[in-house]
Amino acid sequence: MIGKRESRRLAALLIPGTLFLGIFFMGPLAVMIVFSFLEPGLYGGVEWNFYHLNYGRILGWADAEWEKFDPVYAEIFFRSVRLALTNVAITLLICYPAALWVSGLTTRWRTIVVFLITLPFFVSLVVRLFCWVLILRPSGFLNSTLLGLGLISEPIDIIYTETAVLIGMAYILLPFMFLPLYASIEKLDHSLVEASSDLGASPYQTFLRVILPMTLPGIAAGAVLVFIPSLGNFIVPDLLGGAKVLMIGNLVEQQFLSARNWPFGSALSVMIMLVMLLLIIFFLRRIGRSEIVK
Amino acid sequence: MKHPWLKRLLSVHGLLFLFFVYAPIIIVVVYSFNSHPVNMMVWKDFTLDWYFSIFGFPTKLTEQTLYVESTDQLVSALKNSLLVAASTTTFATIVGTTTALAVYRHHFRLKPFYQGLLYMPMVMPDIVLGIALLVFFVNFSIKLGLMSIMIGHCTFLISYVFVVVSARLAGMDDTLEQASADLGAKPWTTFRRVTLPQILPGIVGGALLAFIISMDDLVITYFIAGVDSTTLPVFIYGMLRRGVKPEINAIATLMLAFSFVIASLGLYFRKRS
Repeated sequence: MIGKRESRRLAALLIPGTLFLGIFFMGPLAVMIVFSFLEPGLYGGVEWNFYHLNYGRILGWADAEWEKFDPVYAEIFFRSVRLALTNVAITLLICYPAALWVSGLTTRWRTIVVFLITLPFFVSLVVRLFCWVLILRPSGFLNSTLLGLGLISEPIDIIYTETAVLIGMAYILLPFMFLPLYASIEKLDHSLVEASSDLGASPYQTFLRVILPMTLPGIAAGAVLVFIPSLGNFIVPDLLGGAKVLMIGNLVEQQFLSARNWPFGSALSVMIMLVMLLLIIFFLRRIGRSEIVK
Repeated sequence: MKHPWLKRLLSVHGLLFLFFVYAPIIIVVVYSFNSHPVNMMVWKDFTLDWYFSIFGFPTKLTEQTLYVESTDQLVSALKNSLLVAASTTTFATIVGTTTALAVYRHHFRLKPFYQGLLYMPMVMPDIVLGIALLVFFVNFSIKLGLMSIMIGHCTFLISYVFVVVSARLAGMDDTLEQASADLGAKPWTTFRRVTLPQILPGIVGGALLAFIISMDDLVITYFIAGVDSTTLPVFIYGMLRRGVKPEINAIATLMLAFSFVIASLGLYFRKRS
């Protein structure tokens, strides 16, 4: 039984966090959800009437007239999903072999390399993206170098393309893929890998039938951790994608800072949150709690 | 491994991976010392002028290549960042630690709820939290400024401190605490003399993590900063949107150095814990 004293102590420890997160975390999310069902005011702001067409607008029916179907927002939404999934694939392909490599190093080198890979994660996002702006600009490092070497005769356009956005996103999200992958590869039971090759499996078979299934939780965790921030990202498309590669995050930003349609922006934001919640629930159901609570 | 060629291939990939991670950073650091005033990517001479210019010292640079008005704004953005980071770190460390102590040293029915609640702010996409906070502050007429930034940062910093401290608590044997209680120490004494010294590395690590995340936060601050209280990342983001100038190289290099020092300290404390 919990004594009276102990429960008082527990309450004292819990109250500050509960109050703060209740008011300033749950509160804002609730207000945002309410806003997403309100009518946008004529000059910004909201009218306090129930209005479901913010969501209709995302799907393509802005004014509830079925013949006026314009899927421009749905297209941006699907582009964001596609880019986020591509980014998951890229980071996975880069990080998986790297994590295999690190797990095969001696303990001392492993510590050093993991430290080196984690370190840039602590560097400001703007600074890391600025590096790529410098490299990819028309007069940037890449073009100057290639021109200087005589490999190309005129600057190639790489900034303000989807490629540039994918490079930038992969770069800033690498650690989110690497660390869960590394954690699950490191836990791998090496006797099973040896048994597999002793019994005559080719490296390819061993990888596909033994290593890959055992590291699936790490892959799933990395995929979720990369997908979520990729989907709602607006800084990378803004700096490296320009107006040509709009993502849902840019759309949200526009609704709040220039178009001043807050209810629509809130609805878009709620959509991002829903995708995230579905992913997390799916992940917890299938893979279990232990992986994410690391 | 039985296939040396496979191992070699992996090593090559690993080294390329590290190259991909560090090359962009190294380029920025190197070119922050480049004196070429027009094309910052064409190497001319070594100079410290960009560093002097961001702090407003006299340089040999000609007037037009400079951000004339930036120094004051830069310094005030830096001050704001430090002020916000210092106060939010203090608050988040206290609240995060007490919550971790409650969740990992007591048994109660709502425990899974609290674990979920505290992980939520970390997985919530930045833009969603930023928008939600903006709508909330405006709806309840809370003025956007340093205070709103601090509140916004605390919502997710508490979670980071919570995670680091609870990892420490979970890995810790509680028999010492029980022994202390059995020997008649009051709960406060047990906490101060037994629990605290053991979780201190976790608290310090969590606090450093919170500090650096607060200093670096761009997206959430961007939405709730208001007109005249910008932080360093938001300021640099604004500069970048207007165009790339060589001074940004120097600022970026200083920020890199700063982040590396704090991160190394943080990892050092985590290693010890």
